[in-house]
Amino acid sequence: MIYFGVMIQDIAVLKNLINQIYPISVEAMEEMCSIWTPFHAGRKELITRAGDTERYIYVVLDGVQRVYYHDEQDREATILFTYTPSFGGVLDSFLLQSPSRYHYETLTPSHFLRTSHVQFSAVRARHHSAERLVSHGLAGVISGLQERLVEIQCFSSEDKLRGLLKRSPHILQIVPHKYLASYLGIDATNFSKLMGKILRDGDLGKYQV
Amino acid sequence: MTAISAKDVLNRLEQQTEGHIQTAIRLWQNMDDAQLLAPAPGGGWSIAQCLEHLNGYGHYYYTVIRQLMERNKSVSEIYKPTWLGNYFTKMLDPDSGKRKIRTFPKHNPPPSLNAQLVVAEFIRQQEDLLTLLREARNKNLNAIKIPTTLSKWIRMNLGDTFRFLVAHNERHMRQAKRVIS
Repeated sequence: MIYFGVMIQDIAVLKNLINQIYPISVEAMEEMCSIWTPFHAGRKELITRAGDTERYIYVVLDGVQRVYYHDEQDREATILFTYTPSFGGVLDSFLLQSPSRYHYETLTPSHFLRTSHVQFSAVRARHHSAERLVSHGLAGVISGLQERLVEIQCFSSEDKLRGLLKRSPHILQIVPHKYLASYLGIDATNFSKLMGKILRDGDLGKYQV
Repeated sequence: MTAISAKDVLNRLEQQTEGHIQTAIRLWQNMDDAQLLAPAPGGGWSIAQCLEHLNGYGHYYYTVIRQLMERNKSVSEIYKPTWLGNYFTKMLDPDSGKRKIRTFPKHNPPPSLNAQLVVAEFIRQQEDLLTLLREARNKNLNAIKIPTTLSKWIRMNLGDTFRFLVAHNERHMRQAKRVIS
């Protein structure tokens, strides 16, 4: 099958991602693969603005992005990072088709596949296994958020930073520190002190940077 | 001067700035203070001093550019480089301006700096520049006049200003890369 304008290797990323969450039927997979179009954004482009309704769900092929909260008092929180292979976008706004409370922006130049709510919902409605894919995917998201709540409430700043470096050692060389600090809920000065300590102790090598 | 496509110039400057950001993140944001503050062999500026020098200019220019871009609503797809803009860009671009340029005393950064903050501020400013270059696609690069740091009476059009700023960034990025090579 030929997917117009979409590279075969990009569809392979999508298929792997789906199979890791919930293996859907052959028919559902065929239809699911036919609804995506390529999308590219440069560094620091706002893809979804708070107040707008998320029209698309994304498959991240390359680059790092963040979903973040920002209010009129200039308070900001990075809620999550997305990078390949994962889905991207403001998920609650997409599924509920209600205005997003969060922004979605690229932190590095990024490549995606994306599809609209209308197309995605049509496949969900036609295939039971596609519906199961969404519920399994959401359960995974809830697990991740619960894990993150524990980390935020129980762990010291240093533990949180070391945990992040262990999980994603490459992120230090791709993403500016201020976004990592914002994700971990550490202020910029403390973050730079902690990084200084890790650098002085010669510990970065441990994380294979 | 020959008129050229504003979009082409902005795309090229955006790509160059993207490269500067990647270098700063990959090479310098994870370096310790000792490396960032080490003087260049022969006693030249440290990496932190090179970046602080750029931050000083960025602090002035990116703020003024944003203000003046917001005020001026005219749009043009064409950019006409001026003689003055070409002269400054050529002088600052490390590929064409080989001569050493003397720095104004107020832009000569001290050797003792908070190196981590300097790198973070540099990355923040370059992200800001990237946004400005993108927003400038819907502006008139010829009509918006930016007062220079030399004198508020010497003004350069927005296109010229972007070009000499990115050439200046490139010059000191290369200098900083030579400190530890």
